[in-house]
Amino acid sequence: MHSSNTQNPLVPGIVEVVKIIDETPDVKNFYVRCVDGGVPFNVMPGQLAMVSLVPVGEAMFSVSWQEENDHLEFAIKRVGLMTDELHRIEVGQKLGVRGPYGNGFPVEACKGKDMLFIGGGIGLAPLRSFIKYCFKHREDYGKITILYGSRTSADLCFKDELFDKWPKEKDTQVYVTIDNPEEGWDGHVGFVPAYLEELKPNPEGTIAVICGPPIMIKFCLQSLEKMGFNDEQVITTLEMRMKCGIGKCGRCNIGHEYICLDGPVFNLAQLKQLPPEW
Amino acid sequence: MKVLKFGKIEQVLDRLAQQAEVYVPMLRGQQTGFYSWNTYDEGYDDLMFDILNVYQSPKHVILPQTEMMYRFRQEGQDVIIDAEAQEITPKIIMGIRSCDVRGIEHLDAVFLTKGYVDEFYKARRDKITIIANACYNPGTNCFCASMGVNPTDPEAADIIMREVEVGYVWDVKTEKGQAVTKQIEDLLEEEEVELFPLKRFLRKVDYEGVAEKLKDMFDDPMWEKYSEPCQTCGICTYLCPTCYCFDIQVKTWGEEGYRFRCWDSCMYREYTQMAGGHNPREAAKERFRNRFLHKLQFFTERYGQPLCTGCGRCVVVCPGGVNIIKIIDTVKEAKTGA
Repeated sequence: MHSSNTQNPLVPGIVEVVKIIDETPDVKNFYVRCVDGGVPFNVMPGQLAMVSLVPVGEAMFSVSWQEENDHLEFAIKRVGLMTDELHRIEVGQKLGVRGPYGNGFPVEACKGKDMLFIGGGIGLAPLRSFIKYCFKHREDYGKITILYGSRTSADLCFKDELFDKWPKEKDTQVYVTIDNPEEGWDGHVGFVPAYLEELKPNPEGTIAVICGPPIMIKFCLQSLEKMGFNDEQVITTLEMRMKCGIGKCGRCNIGHEYICLDGPVFNLAQLKQLPPEW
Repeated sequence: MKVLKFGKIEQVLDRLAQQAEVYVPMLRGQQTGFYSWNTYDEGYDDLMFDILNVYQSPKHVILPQTEMMYRFRQEGQDVIIDAEAQEITPKIIMGIRSCDVRGIEHLDAVFLTKGYVDEFYKARRDKITIIANACYNPGTNCFCASMGVNPTDPEAADIIMREVEVGYVWDVKTEKGQAVTKQIEDLLEEEEVELFPLKRFLRKVDYEGVAEKLKDMFDDPMWEKYSEPCQTCGICTYLCPTCYCFDIQVKTWGEEGYRFRCWDSCMYREYTQMAGGHNPREAAKERFRNRFLHKLQFFTERYGQPLCTGCGRCVVVCPGGVNIIKIIDTVKEAKTGA
């Protein structure tokens, strides 16, 4: 429930950045590890952690992967003050980290199902933790379909996994799209929801997991409903501004749910019970 | 009955202030609020046990407006966090009314339950003794009884003072209360006195069923109408004894600094503004609606009671005349909903 070297859930433990991968012009994947080795805490797919560049700021990110007891990965897009500074750090930098927070994806309940992952932009970061979890426990899950899009080909995250590793996995299809035509791009062009309608995935025994910009999520939810997915078959992970991570500071509420504590993962049935404030 | 005579109040305060910081209601300049007895200036301050509600509730005693969380130092790429707990002096809140005691009960529910204990809050809370002042004569803007508060018997009080003709009946409720009473026992007198009856409330509102009904009123036109005069100044949130939302910020100079938390307000746009531009409650109406739904529906759903104690402060201070009673009445009368 708390970081490794403190009993106070609001005080971070210290980790070291051991590797930084440039994913796109504005996304970097940071590998972090405790100073004396190991991960600061165990994380389930879809859970969150509060990361601080201590003198600058603290912000909530989904953990895009935990590699055994070796390191945690945070794929972080440069969008504001804190992430701007984060993008300037180098390997060796110490960061604060506390967590894990939130419910995470229902990895158990999805066992035996075909999985359809739909991601847009940096929305692939949380999905990736579940995608890689499925591959790690490949026998527990059925067919895996990944549909991912971004504005341009340069903005696609985790390219080696998308184009090289994941398509080679058993029973796995990866569909990638970009918003507009581009020279040298011979893949699909168009928005994610449109591509989804084109692909017409079969709802039978399938769980759809979506993450991306709110507008993409909203259109995809509509499309999936039209295709016959019921409300329990559609899962999304939401984002709100957060400060405490432990359901106290107030701001991440949607209705009476706190996204940091009760979320960030909701199925469509749960989502329909909440005000549309996301 | 143990009675604290009016003439001995200052003696009691002096005595208690030797062991603890004692917060009492005072008029200080144009302000009324709970201030430390140690800062009492006879020529400037007036002790106000007889006032019903000072403008500022003692919320800040238990949840300071700003609070240091931990210090840090940066050395190259290294960061050292010094999270050593700070020494906390015992505190006594004396003269707090039932509505504000209920406010503290709500803060306790938020900070001490539902999965995580807030250690900063707990450390302070453990050292706070509550000496309430029972209300027998509700004020013109009081509606605590309508919100389920008992004006004469606040639940979380360690001691309840009950005003009588000659002073206050000293009604000890808890062990904490006993410990404090021990220090001043010689200043209390044994006397049989008659308690005043509770007078009737001038303001009443019927909250029964409101939380349930609000579930179907998210898109009700009343939010547009009632939020119109709201200037999103946030005064309601600062003076509310139950509003607890906080921000976490950092202060850095050179290589060192500290992280602190401070009161925040859901009325401000920045409250939910995300890096990257998305804001789920961009419009003032949306923030207004969220505040009142939090008070009257969401908190009730999560913690079993509304996040309003009927203290009446927001009704008095709102520059736009926003009135929570009016909102409850409107929900009550609405034909939509359950």
